[in-house]
Amino acid sequence: MDRVLANGSSDRGATVQPHHPQRVFHIEILSPRQNAPDLDAGLAALADKYRQIVDAGHVACFTDNPLGNLAFQGTELIQELGLPVRPGQVSIHLNTFHTRRDLDAILDAATNLKIDDILVISGDGSERLPKLRGRDLGIEAETVTSVELVAHLQRTCPGRFRIGVAFNPYEPREHEMEKLRRKLDAGAGAVTTQPIIGQDPSIADLRALGATVIVEAWMSKKLHLLSDCVGYALPADETYDPLENLRTLLRTYDGCGFYLAMLGMKTQFPLLRDIWS
Amino acid sequence: MRIVVCVKQVPAVSQVSIDPETKRLKREGVQAALNPFDLYAIEQAVQLKENLGGEAIALSMGPRQAEMSVREAMAMGCDRGVLLCDRAFAGSDTWATSYALAAAVRRLGHVDLILCGKQAVDGDTAQVGPGLAAQLEWPQVTYVSMLMRADGDRLVVNRMHEEGYDEVEVDLPAVLTVVKDLNIPRVPTLRSVLAARRQPVEVWTAAEIGADPACLGLDGSPTRVVRTGPPPPRQAETVRLDGPADEAARRLVHDLRMKSLL
Repeated sequence: MDRVLANGSSDRGATVQPHHPQRVFHIEILSPRQNAPDLDAGLAALADKYRQIVDAGHVACFTDNPLGNLAFQGTELIQELGLPVRPGQVSIHLNTFHTRRDLDAILDAATNLKIDDILVISGDGSERLPKLRGRDLGIEAETVTSVELVAHLQRTCPGRFRIGVAFNPYEPREHEMEKLRRKLDAGAGAVTTQPIIGQDPSIADLRALGATVIVEAWMSKKLHLLSDCVGYALPADETYDPLENLRTLLRTYDGCGFYLAMLGMKTQFPLLRDIWS
Repeated sequence: MRIVVCVKQVPAVSQVSIDPETKRLKREGVQAALNPFDLYAIEQAVQLKENLGGEAIALSMGPRQAEMSVREAMAMGCDRGVLLCDRAFAGSDTWATSYALAAAVRRLGHVDLILCGKQAVDGDTAQVGPGLAAQLEWPQVTYVSMLMRADGDRLVVNRMHEEGYDEVEVDLPAVLTVVKDLNIPRVPTLRSVLAARRQPVEVWTAAEIGADPACLGLDGSPTRVVRTGPPPPRQAETVRLDGPADEAARRLVHDLRMKSLL
């Protein structure tokens, strides 16, 4: 069976061989907040989760200051904790809330660590996080969105990274598709959706664009948390079963990559081995 | 250059409330944060140290848990952290706080520059920086929005006001209070956070800074909060712009310009 790489494509013929010949999930790792009360415990838990993910052959995906909370970057966590980087098994999110100096440092570290996959997102931002400005990237645009950031990556490190972008099916469809086209035109090659519950007609539209599609699955039972992430109030569903939803997604969107958010490492992770069969 | 940057731990903005009995901010059980304006003072102190050499020292006064804010300043690049922690400091108003901080600065010795955020977001007084300058009898510049240059024992800075800014020369040693326009505070790295956790924070008592107990706490505070009240409710108004999108957009721009918001 071919292994599905971080960008959703097959690695048939690639020089890098999978450590485990099985289907691969992209599994989100929320890095500890900078003001975490017990940073040591948070770092230890992160290292353990990371190792479990990569040892099982999956892709570890580090977030970038989600919801505007000051957290640590995936690159520095890998470096400081001495975590192993296996080709195609690490992806970092990169949002627009950085100084140019920090952005360069992240990209340099990703290059040195041989991290190939970057998911570019606009990000949530906060008072504490500096926002990239057009002049920081040497462009005329006043503000920097994920479109400008993708273009910047293509301009400054051409071919260095496989670049993915985000798609929010909860936004008005026409508006979101237009944004996505601009992201793809800027150089992105993959699209990761916001979490899909059941089915979503926009997935067919995404596949029609020719980009690699990675479908996100919400692995927490708490759907109200998902509402905070996507920016729209989703109907409460006390019976939501994340594993059953994942099975539905796997059946429905064969050929896509799958990104798991809020995965429970104790109860859900051990079940992934058999869930795709 | 030897720089002291004053930092304060404040309740996280979203959790601020006032005790109706004591008229004081409720601090117990409330998540704490570094005063946001202090971030700009820290960044400037670290930049000056990096460019001119010397030492940046974070100084705070508060309960033991205020050490977290001192460590945050150290994670951003301050070389040393000092916390004034003693029951004698409890209840100090801005004048008594300035007195204690000034005593700590004297104990540190050979300080060229003190940087403070323009105000703390809990009390919003903007008095401690100027009070510190008064206690030390040093010159001060408030609302500094840009540091133009450092010429030996003199700084040239821009001081922001409602109609623009003044370019001000100030002899060192001096006290500056700073505003957000000054710089972009750096985000600490994991390495710097871990390094800051390993460094000691020096904890000084009132006796160790040679402070007169009569000048500290409630006894040393000439001001009293006698009444507090909520601000008047905001007069929110919803305006609906119907019609074609381009026409509605034109009207929106027009209305915003008429209110000087664009």
